[in-house]
Amino acid sequence: MDMSLPQRFVEVSISSLKKLQTRPIQLNQQVFQQESINQEDLYMLQSSQRLVPLNPRTIETTIAAVDTSSIKLGETSRGIIIAIRGTAIWKRSHRYGYIRVGPFIFHITEENMKEIYSTLQKTYFPEQTTSSTGFTQIPTRMANLLEKWLQASLVQTISDGIILFDGSLTAGTPDTPTHQLREILAAARKMGNTILAFTKTTTLRFNGYIITDTLLNQKPPCLIEMSDLKTKPPLVLLGDVYVAKLTIGNYAFRLDIDKEIPSQQKIEAVERLIGNDLLRQSYPETLRLAHILCTFTANEVIAMQHFIQQKYGLKMLNRPDMHRLLFGPYGKGENSYEAI
Amino acid sequence: MKLYKKEGNIAQILSFPNENAEKGDYLLIEDCEEGKALIVQVIDVQFANIPGVFEELLRSLPDGGELIQGEDIDPLEIAPHITYIQDARLLICKIRATVESGGENLSPSSSWLPSRSQSLIKKLPISTLLKLAKVDGKLPITLGGTKEASLLTIDATALDGRLNIITGKKETGKSHLSKLLITSLLQYNATVVVFDLNGEYGGLGMTSDGKRNPYYTKIHVLTPSQNFKVALKQLHLNVLLGILIHALHLPGTSTREFRRIWQFLKEKSSLTLHELGEAIRNWNCNQNVRDALFSRYYALVNSGFFTDNTAEAMLLEECLFKSREEGGAIIINLRNTSAIDRQIVVEYVLGKLVELLTSWKLKAVFLFAEEAHLYLRETYWDDIVTRMRHFGIFTTFITNQPDTIRDNIYRQADNIFLFNFTNENDLEVVSKAARVDAETVKSIARDLPPQHCLALGKVVKDFPIVVKVKALDVKTMGETRLFFL
Repeated sequence: MDMSLPQRFVEVSISSLKKLQTRPIQLNQQVFQQESINQEDLYMLQSSQRLVPLNPRTIETTIAAVDTSSIKLGETSRGIIIAIRGTAIWKRSHRYGYIRVGPFIFHITEENMKEIYSTLQKTYFPEQTTSSTGFTQIPTRMANLLEKWLQASLVQTISDGIILFDGSLTAGTPDTPTHQLREILAAARKMGNTILAFTKTTTLRFNGYIITDTLLNQKPPCLIEMSDLKTKPPLVLLGDVYVAKLTIGNYAFRLDIDKEIPSQQKIEAVERLIGNDLLRQSYPETLRLAHILCTFTANEVIAMQHFIQQKYGLKMLNRPDMHRLLFGPYGKGENSYEAI
Repeated sequence: MKLYKKEGNIAQILSFPNENAEKGDYLLIEDCEEGKALIVQVIDVQFANIPGVFEELLRSLPDGGELIQGEDIDPLEIAPHITYIQDARLLICKIRATVESGGENLSPSSSWLPSRSQSLIKKLPISTLLKLAKVDGKLPITLGGTKEASLLTIDATALDGRLNIITGKKETGKSHLSKLLITSLLQYNATVVVFDLNGEYGGLGMTSDGKRNPYYTKIHVLTPSQNFKVALKQLHLNVLLGILIHALHLPGTSTREFRRIWQFLKEKSSLTLHELGEAIRNWNCNQNVRDALFSRYYALVNSGFFTDNTAEAMLLEECLFKSREEGGAIIINLRNTSAIDRQIVVEYVLGKLVELLTSWKLKAVFLFAEEAHLYLRETYWDDIVTRMRHFGIFTTFITNQPDTIRDNIYRQADNIFLFNFTNENDLEVVSKAARVDAETVKSIARDLPPQHCLALGKVVKDFPIVVKVKALDVKTMGETRLFFL
């Protein structure tokens, strides 16, 4: 595994933190987890759907998944302090194993934001051009870099397996450049792996309804193939879109499967997933664990604040929450509107 | 350490794993601006309620209860900080006192609130606490060592005129402590009487290897019906009536007749067992009364405790008078004595003590009573905490069944030496003691190792202190008889 990106993460992290020594740090009044927001500009040309019933295949297959998480630890007078962590997890012979990378802590300011991001990006994706990034998007963008590195590493490590991604296979966004995702998918195919990308929430609608609601009356496990989907440039769909209802209950998810693999192989991949992984609420346990293992708990946030306080001598402050001060129990807190 | 909360006289302190504080430890919460400090004692150590810990524990066990095998690449080494926070503790502390003016004034007040942000919290060594509380004195008795290896030395005067209880479950060291107290009192020429139920105290005058120790001449072991007998003529009527009424349950009418018989024999100067038997046989009275008197008479005769041979009669008074000058312990060995005979002997000894103390022939006596419920009559319990204390009998009860001692004894006890108890009911009974709060008793006593006791009350100026009772070089006696050895 090429460890140059995590190594660079460490260097940039330490360098950014060293510059903020002895500065007071303002704690977040409400620390909450990073949630990726998938807003895609997708639309359907016509109503063509195909129901695909599934039969679980128990042939021994490695199931792997990747997820990352970012969180804001606090604010300084110059910027914000964030933490990033990623997990790759696999299930083989009924046992789980994982690699968890991080947390990496960064002090991001308006001044160093671009430099930090481009330094990290060039380490692993040198051909990619750096697009402008907003201050509030930077934690998500940096977590995405780590996620892409984990995905790229995993698809080259595992063979003949099913690799689960969190999100869609839509490329052409600042987070997911088309050629980068294409390379990951190609590397996966080369190793005999199939990428299945699960989207927890989708905005894609059919006949006015969210597509994941269209399957609720079907008998699981089954897929609905959503064909004739088009994207608005510069977005590119590198996967075929399905709605997957894998277990009994009112849960269905958008599922993207690599476009370049034959149709039958796509269906078989989902059937092998059902036959090899535990599924609850139509969601694969391996992907759920990837999320659980990288998510920051409140205790970990306190521990990281303790780390920067101890190591870099930062003073923690707790500024009064004006919403709470002014509106009492009716004030939700200003940070509840913040997206990081 | 940081002050987290104060509710009533309970302070909660946040402590981290490297700040080693355990149950029983004392802490000083110093507010420099106020110029005051609170002395608190840790009565419980809990995990701090850290948000997210539950999620972390769940996260480590998602695979049907099996740990997921994995590798954490943690380049910034945050993991130790996570465990550091996870293992944070909350010390539940009881406020014991306030120190003012640089330690000069110590008051039991907890009415003020130290600063949460500015207060400095540090461990208060027991030796410093003892100095602050002035737990010393002219007649030191070293009980043993504290956790910090300093000695806990109490003042013998804190036992003088006091009611004490030594309690704990079996084989935790109760008798050992009472032996230590007895020998220490002997050093100060005190008179001690021990009701020795299991024959454990007979070796107090010998070292463990059987040689004589400095207390040898001061230990007087009296074994009823062997070297401890009494002649009727040495007895005061009231003492014998006490035995007949309380130990042998003689009814009132019969008691009246006995009193007449006694007066009759006394006038004839023929107070012997033989004459008493003859007098009852020939006395002009109701047959039922005669039968009642005869049954008691034979109980007295069969006890072997009474004799007509005055040379054979060991005088308790002699031992007590000898002890009066240079101190001494009279060990009443009740080991092989039946329940009725035990009561007869105890009634006699207590009656004699009261007689000698009321006539000021004795100044005061320290009475050590093991498992007193086995021989002490009902009405004596109240007597001991009220009347007898004024006569000069200062009792120490030793028991492994705390519920056999009445509640009012606990409430009035001046000192309690509490060994380990795990049973909830036992702890509940002991927690009724007035000199300590129930939480302290229940929390600390449960975790005491053998030979460790929690000293409560006046001996430690109401600062409960855990002490490992020091070893004593005396001959062990009264061991449990075993089948396999």
